[in-house]
Amino acid sequence: MRAASDVGGTFTDLVYYDYDNETGKSGPVNIAKADTTPPNFEQGVMNAIHKAGLKPEDMMFFAHGSTVIINALTERKGVKTALITTKGFRDVLEIARGNRPDLFNFNFRKPKPFVDRYLRLELDERVTYKGDMQRPVDMSPLAEQLEYLKTEGVAAIAISFLHAYVNPENELAVVAEIKKFWPEVSVLASSEISREWREYERTNTTVLSAYVHPIAKKYIESLEKKLADEGFKDHPYMMQSNGGIATVASAKDNPITMVESGPASGIFASAYLGAMIGEKNLVVLDIGGTTAKCALIEDGDVKVTTEYYIEKDAKSPGYPIQTPVSEIVEIGNGGGSIAWTDKGGKLHVGPQSAGAMPGPAAYGRGGTKPTTTDSNLILGRIDKDCFVGGEVEPDMEAVEKAFAPIMADLDISLKEAARGVVRIANANMTNALRLVSTNKGYDPRDFALIAFGGGGAMHAVALAEELKIPKVIVPVNSSVFSAWGMLLTDLRRDYLQTHPLLVVIENSQIFTQIFQYLKDKARVDYKYDEIEGTQEIQFEYQADLRYVGQEHTVKIPLPFNNNGKIEIGTTIANFHDAYEKRFTYRLDSGVQLVNFHLTAKIKVPKPEIVKKQIRGLALSDTILHKRHVDFDQYGVHQATVYDGLKLEPNMTFQGPAIIQEPSATLIIPPAHMAEIDDYGNYIIHLNFVEKGV
Amino acid sequence: MDIFTTEIIKDSLVALGDEMFNAMIRTSMSPIIYETTDFAVGATDAKGNLLAQGNGVTAFLATLDTAVQSLLEHYPNEGDIKPGDVIITNSPYLGGGTHLSDVVIILPVFYKDKLVAFTVNKAHWTEVGGTEPGSVSTRATEIYQEGLHFKFLKLYNEGQINDALVGIIEANVRLPESTIGDMHAGVAAARVGAKRILELIEKYDGPSVLYAMDELLDYGERMTEAELLKLPQGVYEADSIVEDDGLGNGPFTIKVKVTIKDGKMIADYTGTDGQVAGPINCSYTGLVTGARCLFKAVTDTEIPANGGCFRALEIICPMGTIISAQSPAPVSLYYEPLISAIDVMWKALAPVMADRLPAGHQRSVGATFLSGNHPDTGDLFVMGEPLVGGWGASEDKDGDNGQFCCANGETFNIPTELFESRYGVQVEQYAFHNEDGGAGEYRGGKGVVLDYKITSDEAYLTYAASQTISRPWAMQGGQEGSNNYALILRKDGKVERHHMCTTVTVEKDEVVRLYTGTGGGYGDPEKRPKEKLLEDIKNGYVTKEQAQKFYNVDWL
Repeated sequence: MRAASDVGGTFTDLVYYDYDNETGKSGPVNIAKADTTPPNFEQGVMNAIHKAGLKPEDMMFFAHGSTVIINALTERKGVKTALITTKGFRDVLEIARGNRPDLFNFNFRKPKPFVDRYLRLELDERVTYKGDMQRPVDMSPLAEQLEYLKTEGVAAIAISFLHAYVNPENELAVVAEIKKFWPEVSVLASSEISREWREYERTNTTVLSAYVHPIAKKYIESLEKKLADEGFKDHPYMMQSNGGIATVASAKDNPITMVESGPASGIFASAYLGAMIGEKNLVVLDIGGTTAKCALIEDGDVKVTTEYYIEKDAKSPGYPIQTPVSEIVEIGNGGGSIAWTDKGGKLHVGPQSAGAMPGPAAYGRGGTKPTTTDSNLILGRIDKDCFVGGEVEPDMEAVEKAFAPIMADLDISLKEAARGVVRIANANMTNALRLVSTNKGYDPRDFALIAFGGGGAMHAVALAEELKIPKVIVPVNSSVFSAWGMLLTDLRRDYLQTHPLLVVIENSQIFTQIFQYLKDKARVDYKYDEIEGTQEIQFEYQADLRYVGQEHTVKIPLPFNNNGKIEIGTTIANFHDAYEKRFTYRLDSGVQLVNFHLTAKIKVPKPEIVKKQIRGLALSDTILHKRHVDFDQYGVHQATVYDGLKLEPNMTFQGPAIIQEPSATLIIPPAHMAEIDDYGNYIIHLNFVEKGV
Repeated sequence: MDIFTTEIIKDSLVALGDEMFNAMIRTSMSPIIYETTDFAVGATDAKGNLLAQGNGVTAFLATLDTAVQSLLEHYPNEGDIKPGDVIITNSPYLGGGTHLSDVVIILPVFYKDKLVAFTVNKAHWTEVGGTEPGSVSTRATEIYQEGLHFKFLKLYNEGQINDALVGIIEANVRLPESTIGDMHAGVAAARVGAKRILELIEKYDGPSVLYAMDELLDYGERMTEAELLKLPQGVYEADSIVEDDGLGNGPFTIKVKVTIKDGKMIADYTGTDGQVAGPINCSYTGLVTGARCLFKAVTDTEIPANGGCFRALEIICPMGTIISAQSPAPVSLYYEPLISAIDVMWKALAPVMADRLPAGHQRSVGATFLSGNHPDTGDLFVMGEPLVGGWGASEDKDGDNGQFCCANGETFNIPTELFESRYGVQVEQYAFHNEDGGAGEYRGGKGVVLDYKITSDEAYLTYAASQTISRPWAMQGGQEGSNNYALILRKDGKVERHHMCTTVTVEKDEVVRLYTGTGGGYGDPEKRPKEKLLEDIKNGYVTKEQAQKFYNVDWL
């Protein structure tokens, strides 16, 4: 048995399948859901395992993704953390970058740093930008500083010195001293967390990782213990934001790598599915209860960036986290997003959400605000008889009450209001999808849209129409797609190293050396993880390149020739092309490498994705019923509603139609063609001609 | 047409601002554009009413629509502007004007030969020629020393680029590749916006889009009016000074009388001193920007700016003042009086709008330029950056520590690690300082001290700030903030103080030390609770001496 669980805000998902170690054969993938159980999230995981009737002793592999890190950060539930910096720079954490996104708000305040000034200490030391040692650390104040931090009740210390990304000697010396004097405290050096320049970003990342370090450790250990108590013999693997999994040892050392594990696995699962069904260019859309997340996959490649932020929006600079995270755009628009009118009579949807409690008005749990889900019910898009998998009878009276203020403000009917909410929600999501596609120089017509999450199927086709994307893919069981993705990932470590160098033949030796250095590091790290010997490490070589004198970089794969050297000419040519695509122009200037980026993967066995069985049903056998559905600009139509679980490969039909699964509803407006592929995924071919869109 | 279609067209028009903003960042080759985001992009309707604007800084708020309005005066007849034309202007004294470095690109949008809109952007070009590298001077006496001057010229005629004009630009600037790159980025960003407007018209039809444009403006007006009616009616006055014009003249007074009555706000700057000999003059467009910024700060800071938002604002100022300068006044440092124009209105209104406005802030961009040769390569470098400082305290909060001034916005400091690698200069500290100032029941935010140690044989410092003698104002009995200034710590132990200087030589191992002001305090310092003051002392925001002296405590 191989299993994976994904702890979400509302539900803890579990997916699992039988795997025969000897034959390599795998059985079908099953799913189970349990309530998420904060603050002891591991309990929800165990509940899901029990609910599914699994025995941990039968499991030979268990991957786990959790919101425990992001929750500890956003709810400020980490430990009391101190920071030690180079003398003269302790305020960098508070000055941050000085920007004010909320331009005209003169009462703006920057987000408060995670370490107060009295816990930000300094040591005299200096490394130059070239990595030369100017002054080793003057350790004389350290003993007293540690005594002070002890009396202040500090539980974690971040160390961040200038230019430690190129020469970590001074940082590591301080770490060693601290471990000697105070072995119990969590201590993290910036050079162990990130090897990229920009001291504010690196320092903040180190601080945040230290802030959650003891919590992550405790969480992972208690999960390990619970699993072990019930007989699980191996260690679980932890899902990371870079789309790979890590051993528990490595995740405990740098917990910040788990910050965006849920969305990452959905995106990587999309790439996996795309490769399987021959769709290498994908716009990815994951719609949950409170947010929608968008990403772009080009030629099968998921973009991983270290320019990631939490709590950043149009008004706040947020907090940078310089750790490899799959590139996503997230907006406050999901099924539970609340619709409201402002004082100028304009309708808005989100970013506030009714969440899981009280949830949309229709849940009948005291929700009094109209949401996107309520609107979809009013319009007949969601089946009233199959609401939340048939577990809830929608409270339509509460829904009507919730819409009354909007109807009064705008002087419109209930249906018009619902249509308006769906349209505004779609417009918001279209804008987010533009950010990952057209705004970055991509033409959506070259892509297929893959949609999942609780609300993905509901909105996907309308969004594809807006962006002129010709094809929509909705995977079967789209509501647990992210958890499913964890069964498909490999062990992965990303090594970034800032080391500005001209891309010229004369430097090719140094390129090889630096990559060799990073590869050695990867081998040592995997060895420390106790993953060694038998499995082969697969390396991928990338670099962030820019024109000399410019700031923007683009990440490109580096081609190696047979002699193990980087092809300089090809690299430069590839860079020019990639740069022009991203920034619209190319220059005659020299090309400079800024960051080396090595990815080190170890493959793990994956479930064989089984083709859906053809039992020979007629299409008519799969029809649940027909009902009136409001397709907005296409009017109200009698739509045929199909049972997604019964549909069989190669079946095709035309909209107006709906495909229903217990936890997902796929809306297909008139004229578009739906097709079921070999695996049971739903493929919608958009018909732009007939619709005149 | 149903209301939601109008809503979605309106949203798409607003999103245009963001899309063009991203396009500009994406296509620009100049760090001052893509890093400091010293630019604005937007669209107006066919009459020059602002529909949407994407801003990196606040200081360009009135520059896009007024540019189009001036353009329409330059080309008054039908057929004067044709499809495929692109117009360029940087004239400070006309619509869209600030200083010559900020260049406006305007693209008329035609749908089936009918003019339907304009897309516009204004960006700080790295170089436009003139006496000083970088085209910003603290000692110019006429605009002719400040660079190339374009008055609504056609950069493209019906799709054909004006080679003569491009040739003149190329031959008259120090970094032609970069400057021409900036020019193309402006055109590219304007085209992105034009394309989206045409897509909208094709999708929804012309009348619907034009209707939505009008609706959008009315919406801006309604939203603003709702807030304006909440403000206390009355007449409020204040004045302030700009210390120095760069030639040693000054100080100069800036004055305002703000009247809020019947859903309108009138900002009357009559009484402000006349334009000055040095380059610290601001044109009328800059003044309009300044007044609009403050107007927006007290009405609705959230809705995207459009022309409708400013219908209720009237600005009065005689021509020829330091904030309505006329040709040929030099204007390189226009932003300092512009900030003063914002600040003086802020100071007039803050006492009655303490919920919306804090006390005074560092009130200066603190523009600092260092040039010299990189110690590793010998290559010439020119470093230019604005500085963060302290903001004022509010009625319920301490001021923000280390933030860029009100004329900036999405402006980022340069990381020390990049700075040192790029310029070879060693940064010795970047920290909050402990100069006196900002005491109060709520403290003013801390200004910073920044040390640059020169490592090449010599380097040159150009520095221009205001509020170098006057201090950020306080509220309700709080203490004033502290000053902006630069020191040079000479090898012989001498310390030189500068407020305004151009290319002063600094030698190897000497240190340029920059101080930015701490913001003004709010409320009587003695009312600050003991536990908060103890925290301040522990955090080092207030020294024990300052606690005794300004907070009058006897328990230390």
